[in-house]
Amino acid sequence: MLGRTGRIVSWTIIRVPPGDFSYQAPYPVAIVKLAGGRKIIAQVVDCETEEIRFGLKVVTVVRRTSRPEVSEVIPYGIKVKPIF
Amino acid sequence: MNIYAIGSGVTKFGELWGTSPRILAKKAFAEALDDAGIPKGRVEALFVGNMLSGILGGQEHLGALFAQELGLNAPAFKIEGACASGGLALHNAVNSVLSNQYQTVAVLGVEKMTDHKPEDVATALMGAGTDVERMSGATFPGLYAILARAHMAEYRTTEEELAGVSVKNHFHASLNPKAQFTLRVTVEQVMKSTLIADPLKLLDCSPISDGAAAVIITSRKPAKKSPKVVASAVATDTLGLAERESLTELAATKKAAKKAFTLAGVSPSDIDIAEVHDCFSIAETLALEDIGFYPKGRAAGAVARGEVTLGSKGLVVNTSGGLKACGHPVGATGVKQVAELIKQLTGKSGRRQVKGAKLGLAQNVGGSGATAVIHILKI
Amino acid sequence: MNVGITSYGTYIPRHRIKIEDIAKAWRKNPEEIVKSLGIAEKSVPAIDEDAVTLALEAAYATLRFPGEKGEIGSLLVGSESHPYAVNPTSTIVGEILGLGNNYLAGDLEFACKAATAGMQLTAGLVSSGQIDSGLVVATDTAQSKPHDALEYTSAAASAAFLIGKNPLATLLSFTSYSSDTPDFWRRDGIRYPSHAGRFTGEPAYFAHVMGAANLLLKKTGIKPKDIKYCVFHMPNAKFPRDVAGRLGFSQEQLDPSLVVDFIGNPYSASSPLGLAAVLDIAGSGEMIFMVSYGSGAGSDAFLWEVNPGIKKIQKFRKEHKQLFSQQVANKSYLDYVGYLKNTDKI
Repeated sequence: MLGRTGRIVSWTIIRVPPGDFSYQAPYPVAIVKLAGGRKIIAQVVDCETEEIRFGLKVVTVVRRTSRPEVSEVIPYGIKVKPIF
Repeated sequence: MNIYAIGSGVTKFGELWGTSPRILAKKAFAEALDDAGIPKGRVEALFVGNMLSGILGGQEHLGALFAQELGLNAPAFKIEGACASGGLALHNAVNSVLSNQYQTVAVLGVEKMTDHKPEDVATALMGAGTDVERMSGATFPGLYAILARAHMAEYRTTEEELAGVSVKNHFHASLNPKAQFTLRVTVEQVMKSTLIADPLKLLDCSPISDGAAAVIITSRKPAKKSPKVVASAVATDTLGLAERESLTELAATKKAAKKAFTLAGVSPSDIDIAEVHDCFSIAETLALEDIGFYPKGRAAGAVARGEVTLGSKGLVVNTSGGLKACGHPVGATGVKQVAELIKQLTGKSGRRQVKGAKLGLAQNVGGSGATAVIHILKI
Repeated sequence: MNVGITSYGTYIPRHRIKIEDIAKAWRKNPEEIVKSLGIAEKSVPAIDEDAVTLALEAAYATLRFPGEKGEIGSLLVGSESHPYAVNPTSTIVGEILGLGNNYLAGDLEFACKAATAGMQLTAGLVSSGQIDSGLVVATDTAQSKPHDALEYTSAAASAAFLIGKNPLATLLSFTSYSSDTPDFWRRDGIRYPSHAGRFTGEPAYFAHVMGAANLLLKKTGIKPKDIKYCVFHMPNAKFPRDVAGRLGFSQEQLDPSLVVDFIGNPYSASSPLGLAAVLDIAGSGEMIFMVSYGSGAGSDAFLWEVNPGIKKIQKFRKEHKQLFSQQVANKSYLDYVGYLKNTDKI
């Protein structure tokens, strides 16, 4: 799933996050159509909220998804960032 | 066989700090039993709709719990389908009577949400979505916001038009003593409210609520005139939004509605009154289009112009105040919707009565559209 | 033994903070600080990035370059900001890259020279015929205490190298120089490092870099004037310029490697990224002299010779906007509060 390109088909900016994600808010979450047709839902990173638009070209990356407790394993997951 | 809806009961919905789920259940059931005018012993089974008792309250096994609490000593079941739990409970109750297993059964929808931190409730509600959605940091307002943005881009629906849903439902709720919010709101107030998940704002979103509703159905011909359940249909779609074919409709609603209209032998234009699942303003817009009341792209403007507001000719939507203004105790909503139809069809809705209502439809949705339940009642 | 770099990849996080903004937060004279350090801005990781995710970016970029890779028999990750005290970064990276199970995974740690040690070890594994090729990754999201001098330079970046046969740049020779010299340290369980002030200069950085460099010059018999480019560990803008001069290298030879001027000091990735920046512009037949430095202390010295095949990877990196010069230009600025949020201090 690394390095897959796609385009944003719809998105929102989460301003009232779930508890685990509070330190990241506000952040964009988008539905991305990958090259090949499959759609995924992912957080958009390395992007100002004003830069997001329909059709924005993005690539999948691996990032920490939420802040773990000190005794927990660190969660990593797929996010997307714009390709400039 | 005919299935008659002979009694209904609804508690006040809201932040009921001093009221436990057991008391909520007892109140709703007692009201329904009284309305039905039958002895308690005639109820042969109990179907409970609830989503969050386990994750928030650490309590599962609600069938046995409420059977005992209501003094029923009968077979009992918890049915869960996220926000469609109530509707699904009724669907299963209907099937149990259609199968001749039981004659008279009760349906109870109950939810207690306000005892927990909002972030914990938001996290728990995301149990209705996929693990990838949870990992992405999405929330329920976020998922519906994604749908709203797609609808706005494709059909030029505006935020002001969406606000019209909240305005209407608050107006209806001001006439409903059981509603959580009885104050009216204006489009301007909705537009100025805090952004939750762009473009949805605080007043576009249904609240966190406590409440219960109960309905009693039977195949025995009732003494007084009672509405019949002429259709109970369920459909599912992909659990996650990303896997849907389209982001501008809820296909599960379309499928369930089609099945329901066929079962009932009626069409959308025959419906006098509808209770639809407005968990967010966009959800009512989608519902009206997906059920077939309006063509794609036309519902938002129609609602904003007052076409489905109490007092207008033709279809009236969400006289209870909907999820937005009546409140949304998740498992109770689907049952409350049908309770509202029963009251309307038997002429007992007081100031929010739709005159001459003969045919009612309730639409209850689970998650971001993964489950849809449609009931049609006729008197 | 024709062993060396068969592919390489780099990654710099997008965010930057200007040194003057840090200085202003602490009511220091911004012009003075910028002048004395010779650095204008440094790279800052995003709030959800760490040494693992940075390693993945560089390693993925390395493996993406088409060409004979052979079977990857080892993955060594060098960092001083491994997210776990116990649990390997290398297996998380290896799993996500899809390396399978049949490889040696290792986490290395030695202040800023963790990864260069890995390069020497991997070269040994390849030349002995034990493995076809091995991946080495240098990665850091360096931490520093607010208001400490290190706050101006500690940065984040990663660089990865695939070591194998028939390389784009041959490893001609290498040496290493080690001693017990505690100039910079961080005790187990303590969040921020400590350092010994001026002791980090002559007895630490200079003694070891010169030590390893002179060993290598003696071993190979090469003179600085025969070498096209030199790369040294860059804790600040002054030390590498100083040591280059002392060893007899000119500013022109050093210049293309000075990543510190653009992004500060990404610790384990400092000299590796400097090497990558040079490889991005080097021509066939040119030699590169590289010396890392790790506090505590030690230096690894390398002599590389660039081969004709380097053109292919330069073209590939340019097309994918991954040249050091392109990655450096892809930036967006944070203010000091944003910097504190991203580095988990508030």
